[in-house]
Amino acid sequence: MSFVTSKEIYRSVQDELVRANTKAREEIRWYFQSYRGPFWRELNENFSVAEGEKLPLCQDTGIVEFFVFKGFRIQLEEPIEKVLNQCVADVYSNFGFRKSIVCEPILKRVNTGTNTPSVVHLFEVETDMLEIYVLVKGGGSENLTRLLMLEPNAEVDEIIAAVQSSLGMDIANACPPVHIGVGLGGTSDFAILLSRLALFDGDFKFFRPNIVEYNEFSEKLREKLNSSRVGIQALGYGDTVLKVRSLGFPTHIAALPVAVSVDCFLNRIGRVKVR
Amino acid sequence: MNMTCTENVTPHFAHLPKLKVGDYLEFDGELIVMRDAAQNRLLELKLKGQDFPVNLRGKIVFYAGPTFANGRMIIGPTTSKRMDKYLHMLLENGVIATVGKGTRSEHARELIRKFKAPYFVAPSGCAAYLSTCVVSWEVLTFEDLGPEAIYRVEVKKFPLVVYIDASGNVYRPFGGADGI
Repeated sequence: MSFVTSKEIYRSVQDELVRANTKAREEIRWYFQSYRGPFWRELNENFSVAEGEKLPLCQDTGIVEFFVFKGFRIQLEEPIEKVLNQCVADVYSNFGFRKSIVCEPILKRVNTGTNTPSVVHLFEVETDMLEIYVLVKGGGSENLTRLLMLEPNAEVDEIIAAVQSSLGMDIANACPPVHIGVGLGGTSDFAILLSRLALFDGDFKFFRPNIVEYNEFSEKLREKLNSSRVGIQALGYGDTVLKVRSLGFPTHIAALPVAVSVDCFLNRIGRVKVR
Repeated sequence: MNMTCTENVTPHFAHLPKLKVGDYLEFDGELIVMRDAAQNRLLELKLKGQDFPVNLRGKIVFYAGPTFANGRMIIGPTTSKRMDKYLHMLLENGVIATVGKGTRSEHARELIRKFKAPYFVAPSGCAAYLSTCVVSWEVLTFEDLGPEAIYRVEVKKFPLVVYIDASGNVYRPFGGADGI
């Protein structure tokens, strides 16, 4: 049994939240270096201004989602959600990141003023690690999340067509070139979880050994979506979709859940290994 | 075509209808910032027959919700399509152009044409850079909404592209997919 203090978690998550919000990932910066369509200069300068002055890359600093993978032998000092919410509240206040969370969705929509609560998923895994995946999820791209319950024998082309038509031209509103995570199988809720995880890199076998990855499907979907020529910033030049990753999981004989998560071009993700 | 508006064009905007779809400009002047919650309040006031707490005549509305860091206003466009249902209200109250990101509905395009009030896009995911274009700001009303309050900002060399011009033409550099 190993013990992880709240302070350890707080410190590493804090740094990762600041980094994800202010420093663009290398591959994104590299991609934009060769872009010469509208706003090319502004977009490239944004990366250096944000990093240099520790300013957020985007004013929408998102709702923060955490996917926590906790080795089953690890003991925590406090409930993880409490530590993570405190960390988000402090970082968002100290760094002037936007507080974008309202306390309740349909009646009053009063801003909580802290950018909390975050959305926290906790999973026990057969490792000795405490690993926390962080997703800073903007509202524009989040509105493109789709869940399709298709027929079990749907062909690959049918699935791709269904995904394409469900996204339609709204992909233009999610800050293209977007990153797309597709979750296939499981139950409806698990498919959405898979689509979220697919926005990250890395192997998820440690989480569920029966997760499979569909590279050809992903590439086909990416090509199809790119044929729309929405382009960078929805201004026609360059890619509409930067990357598609698709993960599958065992499912019911009657079912084929297909979930699609869309993330903006910044794809503000992070990963922390506390142990 | 590239063009730069170097003068402060806010008071008259006589040349707004002359801008063509796809034009790039660096805008100097005033923007009125509002988004979902504030516009919803304005709509409630309108339905009750009450006056607006802000004068929108001759103004350009920027769909955005800023945050503040290092003494700067960090700002960038939000999705315009969500604002389409308030567009008629804005235009009938004298708004002469809107700024946001992404596509608009066919209904919105029709209003833009009718009122000759072009729609611009500003770069998204670009807020640290855009903060360097903000000269000054103040809260005009609905301060309790935090990032969704109505602000007045003064900008310099603020980058914009005409996405729908005053004649209702939609930006589509390669033809094909319709942005609407």
